[in-house]
Amino acid sequence: MTIEKPAKPSLEERIYNYVMNGRVVKSIIRSGYPNTPRNQMLMVATNVFLHLHPTRINRTHVKITHTFCLGGLSFFMFLGLTITGVLLMFYYVPSVERAYEDMQAIQSTVRFGFLMRNLHRWMAHSMVLLVFMHMMRVFYTGSYKPPREFNWVVGVLLLVLTLLLSFTGYLLPWDELAFWAITVGTQMVGSAPLFGEANRFILIGGYEVGANALIRFYTLHVIGLPLITTVFMAVHFWRIRRDGGLAKPL
Amino acid sequence: MASGSESLQKPISKAVQGRQARRREEELLVWPDLVFIEFISALLFMLTLTILSILINAPLQDRANPSHTPNPSKAPWYFLNLQELLLHMHPAIAGVLVPTIAVGALMAIPYLDNTREGEGKWWASPRAKINAKVGAFVGFFGTLLLILFNESKHVWLFEKATTLQWPSALNWLKNTRAIQTEIPWPESIRSISIGEKLFKTELLGLPPINLVLDIPKLLVEQIIPMTTMIGLPIILAVVAGKMNIAQTKRDYAILIFSAFMATWLMLTISGTALRGAGMELMWPWNVKPPVT
Repeated sequence: MTIEKPAKPSLEERIYNYVMNGRVVKSIIRSGYPNTPRNQMLMVATNVFLHLHPTRINRTHVKITHTFCLGGLSFFMFLGLTITGVLLMFYYVPSVERAYEDMQAIQSTVRFGFLMRNLHRWMAHSMVLLVFMHMMRVFYTGSYKPPREFNWVVGVLLLVLTLLLSFTGYLLPWDELAFWAITVGTQMVGSAPLFGEANRFILIGGYEVGANALIRFYTLHVIGLPLITTVFMAVHFWRIRRDGGLAKPL
Repeated sequence: MASGSESLQKPISKAVQGRQARRREEELLVWPDLVFIEFISALLFMLTLTILSILINAPLQDRANPSHTPNPSKAPWYFLNLQELLLHMHPAIAGVLVPTIAVGALMAIPYLDNTREGEGKWWASPRAKINAKVGAFVGFFGTLLLILFNESKHVWLFEKATTLQWPSALNWLKNTRAIQTEIPWPESIRSISIGEKLFKTELLGLPPINLVLDIPKLLVEQIIPMTTMIGLPIILAVVAGKMNIAQTKRDYAILIFSAFMATWLMLTISGTALRGAGMELMWPWNVKPPVT
């Protein structure tokens, strides 16, 4: 009886093993390279970002036409807006004297400034649209049904927050478009039968859109509303998993 | 003791009772099947938006000038539906009441339609598509007709079609505002002072509240719009129910939600594309950028 000797590993295999099972990669991805079902599930379950997902998912939910990725893309827009927004904050000062000049500088002299601003704008519009479409997807697939009622409510709040985030950002360029859009928009708040004028005063920090309104909208836009939105998003994502993942057909 | 253990074994809710055991063969691994799709869709979006950003610049007009009002001054596009509503009714209703009720009603959907019909699948119930179509059609074109009516387009159509003048006896039907202006309302109901009767401010030693009720104005700005906005959806639901288009809670939910979304869309289109200088109704190609 001859004992079959294992073939000597080739150079590629040795390099692959050295890199993929080496101490550096192992220290980052403990489960090892995701090339077996076990490692693939561990990859999702042990990664802080990926563990928003379950490890396995219903076959019908992977079909692109079931969700069109609308919720995920809304979140992706939020991330992209955070990154481009932070970059814009390097150059933008929210004062009546400087805001408009800073916008001009971003658009013309800052390297890739126009790209950051345009991306921020397009992503903001996309996010509003995507959140609306996500709501329609959830409605027409009957995904708000028990036990997912509360997550639908959180979703509606996130829609409102998205609109408010977009609206507060609208004033920041301090051009004609921004100024009058906010003037018209906040006039609606002022027309409330109870405390309308008081609320408008609190919102824009005066009787007319001016320096106080700019700093208030800026603060809400870059820190206040994103923080609140993040909290609600955390609840929203958590509840998807807690409520049993995506709704399944009966 | 026996009853205690029984209650422990009882399912917590019907929702849990109806849940089936997970079948492994129906499931796929999230890595790579789902993560791959998410990655590709994110990449496609990033690519499209980057190209868009290179090609089209975000607008930057002249520096804000509070003393100089452009015509028309419009809110951001997602609030133009409310601005369109503002042209037809009292600002408190259009700007505050309607959005508040709309958000509240959206949140209430799962508590009103608490059945499990149509769950987890596109158009799962047998009448889902017809209800969505009927609701969307009625909402979209109903809103368009209401806007056209309030802009007296039926008068224009009548005069164009018959080459006659609109009969002056029907002047009050020109639009909603005409009900206030074209009907000879008695002066006594145009200004009813109710401030002193309603609020006994003198008991607190405060000056009297000057609240004057103008019945025709109230009718046109508040009562007619509110009745329309509450009544028409109810009529739609009742008619759909009588015609057996809507039968279950889910059917009604689809019908009204679709009608609402279509109405919202029509109002947004009208506010964005059909309103030019002075917020006048016009063809989209006549809507020019605001004059500053």
